[in-house]
Amino acid sequence: YINVLDSLYLCISRAGRTDLIPSIKLRHCCLLRNQRCLSAYLYDRLLRIRALRWEYGSVLPPNIRFHMCSEELQWFNQYKKSLANFMRSVGGEEGLDITQDMKPPKSLYIEVRCLKDHGEFEIDDGTIILLKKNSQHFLPRWKCEQLIRQGVLEHVMS
Amino acid sequence: MFVTDIRKEFYDVVINQRVALLVATDIDALCACKVLQALFHCDQVQYTLVPVTGWQDLGTAFLEHKEQFRYFVLLNCGANVDLLEMLQPDDDSIFFICDTHRPVDVVNVYNDSQVIKLLIKQDDDLGVPSYDDIFRDEDEEADDSGNESDGGSEPAGKRKRYDEGAVERRIERQRAKREWEARRREILFDYEQYEYHGTSASLVIFELAWVLTKDNKDMLWWAVIGLTDQWVHDKITHMKYVTDIATMQRHVSRHNHRNEDEDNSLSIDCMRISFEYDLRLTLYQHWSLFESICNSTYTSCNFKLWSLNGQKKLQEFLADMGLPLKQVRQKFHSMDMVIKENLREVIEESSNKYGMKDIRIQTFGVHFGFKNRFLASDVVHAAAALLESTEKDESASDNFIKALDCLSRSNLERLHLGIDLAKKKLIAIQQTVASCICTNLILSQGPFLYCYLMEGTPDVRLFSKPMALTLLCKYLLKAFVSSTRNKRCKLLPLVMAAPLDVEKGTVIVLGIPPDSDTSDKKNFFGRAFEKAAESTSSRSLHDHFDTSIIELKMEDRTKFLDALITLLS
Repeated sequence: YINVLDSLYLCISRAGRTDLIPSIKLRHCCLLRNQRCLSAYLYDRLLRIRALRWEYGSVLPPNIRFHMCSEELQWFNQYKKSLANFMRSVGGEEGLDITQDMKPPKSLYIEVRCLKDHGEFEIDDGTIILLKKNSQHFLPRWKCEQLIRQGVLEHVMS
Repeated sequence: MFVTDIRKEFYDVVINQRVALLVATDIDALCACKVLQALFHCDQVQYTLVPVTGWQDLGTAFLEHKEQFRYFVLLNCGANVDLLEMLQPDDDSIFFICDTHRPVDVVNVYNDSQVIKLLIKQDDDLGVPSYDDIFRDEDEEADDSGNESDGGSEPAGKRKRYDEGAVERRIERQRAKREWEARRREILFDYEQYEYHGTSASLVIFELAWVLTKDNKDMLWWAVIGLTDQWVHDKITHMKYVTDIATMQRHVSRHNHRNEDEDNSLSIDCMRISFEYDLRLTLYQHWSLFESICNSTYTSCNFKLWSLNGQKKLQEFLADMGLPLKQVRQKFHSMDMVIKENLREVIEESSNKYGMKDIRIQTFGVHFGFKNRFLASDVVHAAAALLESTEKDESASDNFIKALDCLSRSNLERLHLGIDLAKKKLIAIQQTVASCICTNLILSQGPFLYCYLMEGTPDVRLFSKPMALTLLCKYLLKAFVSSTRNKRCKLLPLVMAAPLDVEKGTVIVLGIPPDSDTSDKKNFFGRAFEKAAESTSSRSLHDHFDTSIIELKMEDRTKFLDALITLLS
């Protein structure tokens, strides 16, 4: 950009229109500012997309993908891969899923309350639980974490 | 069938399984639920908790969950109907029923197929008829035809005699059978006629916790609240209440002596449960003494506070005790320490002079932290007010969750909110009673008294809920008995109707037995309502677990009442 600006100044001074220089400077500042705003916006989107991986897991719901452009999707996939590589490298043979247990767990099973109708939910041994509004369940912590983060379930502490 | 060893036959069976908990909407069931939840948390038994408000809800909940769960625990529902017929479960569902409703349906008791297990103490006066009186083996029928065919294979000469003998025997057997069936009908009628309540569910579950030595003070407190709920809503006799209080007192002493002695006393923040011989003034520690006296059934009925005379008597009473009006109208916490010190004894002495011999009642209180002291009845009223709150956007299950939460010690704001709602409810009850008595809204219909709350009555929405309406009913009957001069009317039961849903045009009708000190609290209105509704083909819904509470279409009210009058005369 600086090169363009310099060459523009050169043209102007050759044409004898040095009175235009302030307006050019002003316009340039505005352009820079807009660029800064847009960069901040795009960066914020990236941070949110990164957070999505931690909240939703590796598969994003279609209504969120709808709002992402293809470059962002690409970025998401690459971030996913980096994270997966890192997780595989940590914790021995199987790798360590660090997206679970984001807060130190106090117990194996937790009591959760259903905040909205979510329909059927399958847990590890194949049994299905009907998640109806206001029903309470006592379930293994790792199965509930996703749903707690999504706001479907609420951890009840008594 | 009854369970004899609750640990082996119930807890050890479900401990490695997933359980569906179906809980009725009354405070005793909520307390039993909390104790059972705490036990399940200890042993990591996975469960799903579903609140049920009536038989239809129970059926729906069962259908929704029968695919996923094999074990169902029913708290305060299911004992008084033939559950197998109602739910039609598949072969592998097993039900554990812990219910205070009596009488227990005979099919549930004598069911052989291991499907229904009753977690009910058998030393309650259950009065279940013996097996032979109501069930007849089918083999006896086969004998008849067997004999006849034997008789037929004999040679012709002897056959004639055998025939006569066989015919006589047959006639004899048929007569015996008819007699047996008539006796059976009579026995069943006597058994099922009166509805009443047994030991609280929370006490049964607490005793399970005790047997497992996993009981703690929180569970004990919940058991106390469950028992107190039965007393507040007048479900058990005074004798039974006192007996159960003695049982609880043993547990309380056991828990208290464990931790506290001269050298290491507990921190003030720890929970302490103490036996209290406290005043029967509802919520008095969270209100002002004056308000509490005006809004408690016992004092209000004894003074007849709906009349001017009664108000004067109250002023005299307060003057007699030397309590200045200014103090008495203040919040209890802000009353002078000097007055608060001997308050109970002072009030008891004065009450004796005014004819109130039982102003004090045995109960328990809890205290943790400097500010938090609650009597068991305070918590019962708060939880009941939350459970039946009539805010527009809240469904029954929202209220259930709120009431369940307020029982935990960590949700004190909710408990205080409940106490505020309870105060409003008690004031509404008192005002409704006053207006009913003063405008003579209670009419004698012959075999019972009847009162109908019109649609425009203030706070009538509060009384569309069963527990609130029950409280109002009992209060109203006591007030009526103390204000009427008609001796016959004092011995009559009361039927009350209030609008339930104005759009659908339904009313809620409930009946309570007559008021007396020695009443055994047995209620015959369940069967009476059923028969009256049948005979007039009124559009009624017998959905509540208490059969003495039904819903009825407004238009059918009059003919239903007429049928009830004829039935009970």
